[in-house]
Amino acid sequence: MNEMNIGRLLRSATTGYVFGCSVPEPEVPHFGMFVKAPAQRGQSEVVGLIYNIAIEDDLFVRQMAATPNLSETYIQDQRANRQVPIEVSVLCVGYRNGGQYAHALPPQPPITLDWINTCADAEVRDFTQRHDYLQLILDAPDAPADELIVAALQRAVESRPPEDRERYRREAGRELAKLLSRDLPRLQRLLKRLAP
Amino acid sequence: MTDSELDKFGIFKKSDAPRDNSIGIVIGGSLSKGLDVRLDFGDVEHGVPAGKIIEDMAVGKYVVIGGKSKKFFAIVTDISLDSNNPDLPKAPPDPDDTFTADVYGSSIAFGRLQVSPMLLMDEESKEPRPVKTIPAHFSKVYEATPQDVNLVFGQEDASHWHIGSPLDMEGVKVNLDLKRFVERSSGVFGKSGTGKSFITRTILAGIIKAQSAVNLIFDMHNDYGWAVRDEHGREYKGLRQLFTSGVQVITLDPETSRHRGSKVDGTLQIGLDQIEPEDVEMLAGVFGLSDVQVGALYYLRRKLGKQWIAQLLDEHDTAAVDELEEAEKVQKGTLRAIQRKFEMFRPDRMGFIRNGMPPDDMVDYIFNALNRGTNIVLEFGVYGNTLAAYVLVANFLTRRIHAKYVDKKNKAAGQVGEEPKPLVITIEEAHKFLDPDIAQHTIFGNIARELRKYNVTLLIVDQRPSGIDDEVMSQIGTRVTCLLDNEADIKAVFSGVSGAGQLREVLARLDTQQQALILGHAVPMPVVVKTRDYDEKLYEAVVDSVGTSRKHAERKKAIDGEE
Repeated sequence: MNEMNIGRLLRSATTGYVFGCSVPEPEVPHFGMFVKAPAQRGQSEVVGLIYNIAIEDDLFVRQMAATPNLSETYIQDQRANRQVPIEVSVLCVGYRNGGQYAHALPPQPPITLDWINTCADAEVRDFTQRHDYLQLILDAPDAPADELIVAALQRAVESRPPEDRERYRREAGRELAKLLSRDLPRLQRLLKRLAP
Repeated sequence: MTDSELDKFGIFKKSDAPRDNSIGIVIGGSLSKGLDVRLDFGDVEHGVPAGKIIEDMAVGKYVVIGGKSKKFFAIVTDISLDSNNPDLPKAPPDPDDTFTADVYGSSIAFGRLQVSPMLLMDEESKEPRPVKTIPAHFSKVYEATPQDVNLVFGQEDASHWHIGSPLDMEGVKVNLDLKRFVERSSGVFGKSGTGKSFITRTILAGIIKAQSAVNLIFDMHNDYGWAVRDEHGREYKGLRQLFTSGVQVITLDPETSRHRGSKVDGTLQIGLDQIEPEDVEMLAGVFGLSDVQVGALYYLRRKLGKQWIAQLLDEHDTAAVDELEEAEKVQKGTLRAIQRKFEMFRPDRMGFIRNGMPPDDMVDYIFNALNRGTNIVLEFGVYGNTLAAYVLVANFLTRRIHAKYVDKKNKAAGQVGEEPKPLVITIEEAHKFLDPDIAQHTIFGNIARELRKYNVTLLIVDQRPSGIDDEVMSQIGTRVTCLLDNEADIKAVFSGVSGAGQLREVLARLDTQQQALILGHAVPMPVVVKTRDYDEKLYEAVVDSVGTSRKHAERKKAIDGEE
């Protein structure tokens, strides 16, 4: 996957941000996707994982939903020209500064209306060489941590060439085992889903 | 930014450097109880699947611990399984789920070693010294390399004899310091069929080759002198064949020796008149003599004179014995019991016994041969199966030769003679001589206790070390122990050895053949060896040395002559 714009930032904090976009494409954005947003006036990029996509209603939708015999043209028009954007929540799992990735919370969050981009395969590969970001996911109070870990690791596996995937799965599994050695049932569930 | 541009950053890339050969880290322990080592997890990427490190370990293996300023040599004494989570045994991964099992095996479940530190080296010391401290927490543990083992056991040389190789280290030599080996009494222990005789013969070959002592070998089962066959029918050379000039075989049973094709250099005969009560006393256990009967022996000898046994056995002229009976100095029952038991001494029961005195004084002959540096193998032939004969002859000869050694040593101390050559007396079934009930009084007990005071030490070969007196066992300098599984025997082997508790497991896990645990005076630290093959290579090593030493002697003679 190559880098692409997928929305603009609505609100942000050190631990995460929310961006808005119009009706989603079938492929983007999706749960567990690595995205990035500029910060510190372009000095750094905040890397995050999408953990929630919320499609809110508005007055028109409410009225239309109650309208009998609604034509397809109206429906498509409402979707294309929504009054309220679709809100995508992102958990910050690291940042890049001067070419180096850090698996830590960013010094500054991105600013409103900054463009949000997807991370290209090479970026995902580089960012996931180490696994320290998994701890940030486990510590996140709002995100569904286990689901997000599985989705993020699957994405990290897919970003690698086939011959490298098994090794990566094992390494990631070992890291999870270190982090969750005290919670064997949870670990076992995660490993089952991570297994090839 | 494109993929290739990002790839060049190479950020977070794991090191592709090969693993060092460390196997774990020290996590606790003590000098007295041994160290706790946590084994590393598997690392498939570097060719170490989960669990391999554990399975590659073995009790008795050597490890080296790299402390902060010192290097420690230790021996593995126990191996166990452990995990980061105490609940793991209750919730193991599904055996079919290889991914989870692999992940667990390389991150949660690990192996633990119990290692016993033995030696240490620091920057100042050139050779390893006994440990008096332990390595710090988290010191790395490595499998010992051949260089490490060589550093500990030194190179094979004139007085260091290659006895075997450490476990899984074919080609690395463990050398026995023969000079130290003969300094104190030593023992070769092990159950029947574990290769005691082969190890003993290898050690004896080394002692003879190095000329660190002369040997008097009481060869109960005809194992040492001439050719011997193993259970597969393969023939091995005896010491007489290996050292044609330095070894003589004296037999008690010339007929059997002739049948076996042994070359014999003399025949031992013992005259009834030579036998003293002290020679018989040690047979008390074998004959079933009571304390009263043993006491009576001395009285009978005093009253009846040199021919006391002959008179007791004489069925025609019973006057002297009758007189004793009438005088009631010895109870009739006691006298009859002694007579009954002395039936064993009749020349037709023990063919090497003859009436009166033998034509040659073999005691002098053997003593002189030993002093010339000639090793003596005393072959028992069929009498090896008669314990009474073995005990009688071993005791008879040893008492007299020891007395001569004491005399010669005392004269040497007074500077009226040469020091006698150090002598090693090899006895089998040693517990019959060193039983706690008799070891206090017997010549063998004395020799074991007096160390090398009179240049005589023992090499005891036994399968029941628990039957040997504790005091004697604690004086044994070097113990070469093959497999033993009886608790009491294992305990006996370790009596008087500090930190022995940790080595018990090592001993109990030896292979049934060709493996031995060597500990004590002649090795710098306990070692489990796969003993050297007794084969052509050993023959060559011995022949080389004999050839060299002979050449050396000839050369020296020539030089002396020139002077």
